[in-house]
Amino acid sequence: MIDIIDTYWLYFLVGQYPDGPLGGLVLTLLLGFTAVVLALPLGVLLGLARVSVRRWLRWPVTALVYVVRGTPLLMVVFWAYFFLPSVTGHKTNQFTTMLAALVFFNGAYLAEIVRAGIQGIAKGQMECARSLGLNYTQAMRYIILPQAARNMLPSLVNQFVTTIKETSLGYIIGLAELSFVASQINTQLLTRPVAVFGTLALAYFILCFGLSRIAYYLEVRRSRVAT
Amino acid sequence: MKPTQALIIAAGMAAVFLSPVAFSDQLADIRKKGELVCGVLGTDEPMSFIDPATRTLVGYDVDLCQVVARKIGVPAKVKQLAVAARIPELQQGRVDILSATLTHTKEREAVVDFSLHTFITGQKVMVRRDSGIAKLAQLAGKKVVTVKGGTQEPNMRKAVPTVDVVTFETAPQAFVALQQRKAIGFVNDEVSLFDAYGKLGAAQKDYVVLPESISVEAIALGLRKNEPALKTLVNDALRELEASGAAEKLFFKWFGPNSRLKYGQRSFKIDSDRI
Amino acid sequence: MPNFDLAAVLTDEFRGWLLDGFLLSIELTAITWLIALPLATFIALCRLSSVRVARGLGFALVEGFRNIPLLVQLLFWYFAVPELLPEALRSWLYEHDAEIVCAVAGLTFYTAAFMAEDIRSGIRAVPVTQLEAARALGFSFLASMRRIVLPQAVRIIVPPLISQTLNLWKNTSIATVIGTAELMYQAQRVETASFRGVETFTVVTLAYLAVSLLITALSVWFQRRFPVRAP
Repeated sequence: MIDIIDTYWLYFLVGQYPDGPLGGLVLTLLLGFTAVVLALPLGVLLGLARVSVRRWLRWPVTALVYVVRGTPLLMVVFWAYFFLPSVTGHKTNQFTTMLAALVFFNGAYLAEIVRAGIQGIAKGQMECARSLGLNYTQAMRYIILPQAARNMLPSLVNQFVTTIKETSLGYIIGLAELSFVASQINTQLLTRPVAVFGTLALAYFILCFGLSRIAYYLEVRRSRVAT
Repeated sequence: MKPTQALIIAAGMAAVFLSPVAFSDQLADIRKKGELVCGVLGTDEPMSFIDPATRTLVGYDVDLCQVVARKIGVPAKVKQLAVAARIPELQQGRVDILSATLTHTKEREAVVDFSLHTFITGQKVMVRRDSGIAKLAQLAGKKVVTVKGGTQEPNMRKAVPTVDVVTFETAPQAFVALQQRKAIGFVNDEVSLFDAYGKLGAAQKDYVVLPESISVEAIALGLRKNEPALKTLVNDALRELEASGAAEKLFFKWFGPNSRLKYGQRSFKIDSDRI
Repeated sequence: MPNFDLAAVLTDEFRGWLLDGFLLSIELTAITWLIALPLATFIALCRLSSVRVARGLGFALVEGFRNIPLLVQLLFWYFAVPELLPEALRSWLYEHDAEIVCAVAGLTFYTAAFMAEDIRSGIRAVPVTQLEAARALGFSFLASMRRIVLPQAVRIIVPPLISQTLNLWKNTSIATVIGTAELMYQAQRVETASFRGVETFTVVTLAYLAVSLLITALSVWFQRRFPVRAP
């Protein structure tokens, strides 16, 4: 396995770059990070809609969240693939397709995390804020969400881990992320599947386990500091 | 809402609903864009594949793409596609032209246009020698593997109705499955099969390509429908290539005696698009 | 949107393919669930055991299978693991639907790792005094678990477990990459043959949703019928 890492480490790391599009581990990280960063505002919006008192906002968003959570991510990816160009009028490549699918899918899941985070803040906070003269939006923005954010941090890091794993589905639409690159290497070598896929598994493990440990320590620290 | 807002929303809606119907001259668009985006497979040596040394896309299909781009007068941008994604990507405008081992079939004529045929090949089956299979009919009830989204699966089922076909995302992936003895046979077009055979090296003695073809495939460049200017230009470029002898040179560059395939001669000319 | 023609993807032939795929997806879910649940319970008990080696094993299994994407695990099971098996076992595997066996193997370990954590949380939610009392009365660790703690933990465990079942149902779609002819695989096949992506995926999305909503409804019903009693 060492010799495979030795020969192909650059290909694993960046794919064809700079003689082709960016790929490999760097692409996986870039895709995962961008997806979470973009999914967050979407998740906040959807989460706020989920706790809203306005039924016309709450019901459609709840329905949307249930539909998205009941559909496999791979299905959402194929939808993004077929729908995106006609909706945006732009010609989208595999990266954008995968990004859109991940943002949309994770936005729906983050909506639940945000909802739980908001509802986890003592109701008294909202009442205090309102009695001090802040309106709903100001109360959310300055009082509730900042506190909820601290609560949500471990869940968010976990969501990042999940998103990194989800980027592997780019394999199916030909996006040159880490799993696709490994598969290409395997078809070149043919006789070393255990070593190639073992290396692939190890790479993800180190990445995801490392991140989930960070989430764990954040969680431990949070429960120590919690009032 | 304010009149300007209404106007913007109306314009937006118009753009969304009218865009599929809008007539455009793709050739003019390409010239304006300043580049020709070609869809290739990148997993089908030597038609299009990634050279492991330079990590770039090369091959017969890639070179044809360059020929067309040169004729238009813009640089070519080569984009890798999955087999199943070729026609959707062309239809949605994500690539301008397909140079991706695309077979010209009557069914596909309903959705895409084809250039002059750039390659004639057949689809065949590669089996393990120790399976004892020498004729196609012996594959009845047995398992073969191939790639998703192409003509291999339907052709195989037409040739041997009771065969069990399992498909994978890329052809090399399916070939790995054959090598691991997960199936008796591997279906692909002749050229790709002989290329894979060549890659086997010492293991060649364990495999044999069955002589019977399950189909004859005319490979051509794929174009969007209703683009007469582009189609004429592409066919002109191909005719010039053939007339100057460059087409034959290109064939021998990738399929000739110095390649893994070692074809001694070219059995076709680039001059027809009739099937 | 240019002509949306549902009938084009629901011809006899295509309908047959999609139905076969749907049934296989259901079978994969059911078989995996039946194997993953006991496995998950075993792993959860390992993690809670007082034996350090068992705890380490449980931890390694959970973290190992949770931190590697399911797609990678499936590729590993299908392309790498058979090469490690003895010749006879490998031939037997290939004769007997390796795609389905490997899909079940991959799905089982992945799902079991997540289920194990939910089971462990559920058990830990039962006050530790229950376990202590049981041990004091002379029950062994395993007997205390089986007769006293687990029955109480069940109510807490079931909702997250149903959630994992929902994930399992959706995860079966990934098996398409190792050639398992489940619903997503058949969807790709119908799309290639009909040139109609939107219609095909509409039908298949509805099929997935139908079962997903059923599972979610089951969870809601369970939580209403058997609410967790506050301690």
